[in-house]
Amino acid sequence: MSTRITIPIGPQHPLLKEPLSFMITVEGERVVDSALRLGYVHRGIERLCQTKTYVQNLHLFERVCGICSHVHTTVYCQGVEALLGLEVPPRGLYLRTLLCELERVHSHLLWLGILGENIGFQTIFMYAWRDREIALDIMEELSGGRVTHAGNVIGGVRIDVGDAQFSSIVSQLNDLEQRVEKLLDVIQHERTLRARTQGIGYLSPEEIRRYCVVGPVARASGVDVDLRRDCKYAAYGRLHVNVALAHEGDVWARTMVRAREAIESLRLCRQLLVGLPEGPTHVRAPRRVPPGEVVSRAEAPRGELLYYIRSDGSDKPARVKIRTPTLTSLITVHDQLEGVEMADVSVVLSGIDLCIACVDR
Amino acid sequence: MNLPRILELLQEVLPAARLEVQTVPIDEHFISLPPDNLHAAVRALLERSDIYHLSTITGQDVDGQIELLYHFWEGGGLTLRTSLPRDRARIETITDLIPGASFYEREIAEMLGVTFLGHPNPQPLFLPEDWKGDPPLRREFSLPEERQEGE
Repeated sequence: MSTRITIPIGPQHPLLKEPLSFMITVEGERVVDSALRLGYVHRGIERLCQTKTYVQNLHLFERVCGICSHVHTTVYCQGVEALLGLEVPPRGLYLRTLLCELERVHSHLLWLGILGENIGFQTIFMYAWRDREIALDIMEELSGGRVTHAGNVIGGVRIDVGDAQFSSIVSQLNDLEQRVEKLLDVIQHERTLRARTQGIGYLSPEEIRRYCVVGPVARASGVDVDLRRDCKYAAYGRLHVNVALAHEGDVWARTMVRAREAIESLRLCRQLLVGLPEGPTHVRAPRRVPPGEVVSRAEAPRGELLYYIRSDGSDKPARVKIRTPTLTSLITVHDQLEGVEMADVSVVLSGIDLCIACVDR
Repeated sequence: MNLPRILELLQEVLPAARLEVQTVPIDEHFISLPPDNLHAAVRALLERSDIYHLSTITGQDVDGQIELLYHFWEGGGLTLRTSLPRDRARIETITDLIPGASFYEREIAEMLGVTFLGHPNPQPLFLPEDWKGDPPLRREFSLPEERQEGE
């Protein structure tokens, strides 16, 4: 019997740009146990937000995540709007949804690049990140910001699309769609990618349910959940969302699901722009929020994002609880790593699309 | 989400418990129940209804009690609410029923000082191992700058 060795990975490590710590126990080349430690970028946001007003908190929650910043404010705003009984004008909802979908495209392409880098497939990394620039450019054109857009306000959005922007954005969307389709074609037929991802990090539908996993990781194991279709928040009630599903349950399936989702998101973006209703983009919101509580959910690029908000009638929230989707996938890492080769650890960790800033808050 | 059916089910499993129902915006129902009944209620939901997805557990220090909210989702939101005394904040773990609750319980344990009886790995998840002082989401905890102002 070979000796067991425990290898610490992290908090600082070359695999991800964000810190987290794994203690991986190996027997020869095979992983037999792992332990996880979080909190290296814990900023105490849930406590901090109790000292800030609802409007100031918009800017705080936008900074929970550096990738899906807009969906955080979307969930927060829709919760506060529900407490206030505010109805957001349709144009505001459409524009809010447009940024959500662009963010999904950018997040999925970013992820594909990281996967490429971690499996030593630099070409995919370069192509995916080059194409992701288009999504960032569109968001910059819409809001002035590439990553933190400050697009949402309580009561609607502060961005708008004019005639000149409309045609520029549509042509960029068409260009991006062609590029993502090309990428999908490449990764579907590329043997290197298959060899590194197929059969790695398998999760059965039962495991997904037991661990309450959400988002593309759940959909790649055949669990058909997508809050855009099931919850119909923002403008999704007026759109038809085709949910991308796969049944293999491995990193390969997660790659396919995310690539197909990016294409579907681009389709939705065009649909949103073409159907953009006339009218105001937001309504004025009062500073104080009546007492009450609300649970607000949305489908972030990584899955279900939940905010619980309790108001005590003042201009500051009494409690905000944030549950980000990556936390649900991290619980499965122990099971996914068991029995894989040491060299595949990075593939397993890439597969779940980690966002540590989100997890730590 | 078939609320009458779920209420009927919970009342059947917990005949002595008084269940209070409250509906809040965005299609979410809150059911309050005593902490001793929570494990049985979760078991009933998992075994005898379509609900399997626990979105998260929220903990908060409110009205002199530690309140726990178990947020479920099945085509609509269902939250089980229970309150624990601040000086004896203990409750049975639900990780034996839903392994996915493990991280949520660990977070509440360190942030609010709640003991989850029977949790398989009750280690801190976010706070440093050498953390000293009150759990950071309890009311008595003060932020460093607040301390300076007060001192």
